[in-house]
Amino acid sequence: MAEGTALLEARGLSKVYETRGVRTQALRQLDLRVASGEFTALAGPSGSGKTTLLNLFGGLDLPSQGSVWLEGEELSRLPPSRLARLRLWKLGFIFQAYNLIPVLSARENVEFVMELQGLPAAVRRQRALALLEEVGLAELADKRPPEMSGGQQQRVAVARAIVSNPRVVLADEPTANLDSQTARRLLELMQAMNCEHGVTFLFSTHDSLVMEMARRIVRLRDGQIVADERSSGP
Amino acid sequence: MEALLAFLGALARASTWRMAGRNALRNPRRTGIVVSAVAVGLGGILVTMAINFGMVFEMVQAAIQTELGDLQVHHKGYDDRPGLEVRIQQSPARAQDWLRGVPGVRAWAPRLRSQGLVFSPRASVGIDLVAVDPSREARVSVLPHSLVEGAWLDGEPRRLVVGERLARRLRVAVGEKVVVSAQDARGEMTGEAFRVVGIFRTSSRELDEGAVFLRMEDGQRLLGVGSSFSELVMVAQPHADLEEIRAALAARLGGDLEVETWKELRPVLVAMIEVFDRMGWIVYVAVFVAMAFGIANVLLMAVYERIREIGILTAIGMPPGRLVASIGVESLCVTMVGVAAGLAIGLGGVWLLRDGIDLSAFGAGLTAYGIPLRIRPVIRASDLWIPLLVSLVTALLASLWPALRAVGIRPAEAFRHG
Repeated sequence: MAEGTALLEARGLSKVYETRGVRTQALRQLDLRVASGEFTALAGPSGSGKTTLLNLFGGLDLPSQGSVWLEGEELSRLPPSRLARLRLWKLGFIFQAYNLIPVLSARENVEFVMELQGLPAAVRRQRALALLEEVGLAELADKRPPEMSGGQQQRVAVARAIVSNPRVVLADEPTANLDSQTARRLLELMQAMNCEHGVTFLFSTHDSLVMEMARRIVRLRDGQIVADERSSGP
Repeated sequence: MEALLAFLGALARASTWRMAGRNALRNPRRTGIVVSAVAVGLGGILVTMAINFGMVFEMVQAAIQTELGDLQVHHKGYDDRPGLEVRIQQSPARAQDWLRGVPGVRAWAPRLRSQGLVFSPRASVGIDLVAVDPSREARVSVLPHSLVEGAWLDGEPRRLVVGERLARRLRVAVGEKVVVSAQDARGEMTGEAFRVVGIFRTSSRELDEGAVFLRMEDGQRLLGVGSSFSELVMVAQPHADLEEIRAALAARLGGDLEVETWKELRPVLVAMIEVFDRMGWIVYVAVFVAMAFGIANVLLMAVYERIREIGILTAIGMPPGRLVASIGVESLCVTMVGVAAGLAIGLGGVWLLRDGIDLSAFGAGLTAYGIPLRIRPVIRASDLWIPLLVSLVTALLASLWPALRAVGIRPAEAFRHG
């Protein structure tokens, strides 16, 4: 897998939150390049800026300073509709709190992204069921999120994130609420997607299991990168 | 443009409606309140409009059926100087020729009109003198069928029919004699004795209090007008186009005669319909503005409650136009259920009132304005589709504010909110 081309890039990135007059500097002049095909973990204590960085990479928030680039496009300069299209076609998200749509079944949650992409119903259904089978949830396809456990919901979230064949999946603490066995199965699934389909993964995590499987670990503290470690990986 | 296309595309997708419907059902009590508000508002409007229009409709019908007919032919200038000076200087029998080949005319009758005085042994009253062909008049007017005493005119000469109020003022009864005095065509005073054979009652105070009906021949003799007459009254077939009849008839008449529809003969009736329609719009606007605020408020609450979900939808790539559409469709779903219930309430209310509302307690005052004593609600097609359309437009407009608020939320901000 070629890891030279910059897929995602942060240049001089800063983010300040202001809540009731209190300023919190989440990121400070951060520079980071993530190449296509990477399986990278952002590690660091709570408040180190991991989630903020992922949000900015996903165009889910605006930087206070600096810029974020995805395949040569600066996200903060894009109009909302273009940004939505870019997220739809190039990005997949996995959230710590699963964030499924509660009124849709597991299958409909997975299908929804494809529907936004304009795929025909038969294709959507077939692909959604195949992916749910792959994550071991075929029998729960018609269940809605409130009827599923956390691990099951997170597996649906993974299926939703990868069903659109995105260029990069941004996963915010994806294993935080899962038992170790479920977490390992999910990570293996994502690793397979990375190896077989070249999907780039960028995790924020505290989980040693994720760091164990990642080929690159970027360590953050107080909104800055304090270490960038690469391994040959599994 | 892109957002608009996404919006329209989303409206056409079944999944948008499915999701909106499920979202609406997440808080059944709140949805129920909006549905009830829309239903009661719309139902109330329908019944109110139906009663209002029913009243106007009855007034117009009463005027058409007792006096105006659907169309009339006069000599030109009659509208400005109604009287014996301006008459149709031909025999009423000529109407057969005029109307030959004119489609849509169900019945016709000639009338000769003038003013005069009627004397009883006890009183005298100024009146409108209307000479008619009794059998033809019975086909164009309900008056011959509105007798409360006695009988309608027949072939017997020197007989007349008066309104109930006039009979009371003259203190005469059926069978008694009165004297009718008038100025004839030469300007001479003339008079003859007539026997009252019938007393009628209509919803028109003016007619009941101030008109006497006699045979055409008696009128022509009394007024010295030969075989001429004042007007030809026509009643059209149901759903016939009055303008078409007017055009066809005008082409057959001489240049000194003109055809007018009831709208031109009594513009005040048209003005009244317009006033009621405009009042209807004021009611619509008031109710729908209140409805819009209610819907917007509920949707805004829903948006704030689901702010995290909106963040997710945006994060996974839902275009802004589609997000607006999904909230608009949710508003439409709720409103359409309310509209269906409102139509049921409105139509049900009209059905319950189908026998009419009895206003006889206010009789004296109302008949002075030609308002009938029993009002039957009338629903026009426009009373259904206008509120329906306005409801749906209101639902969409009301959803705009919450929807634009939703579009303005950045996903990360939404996640922090949750």
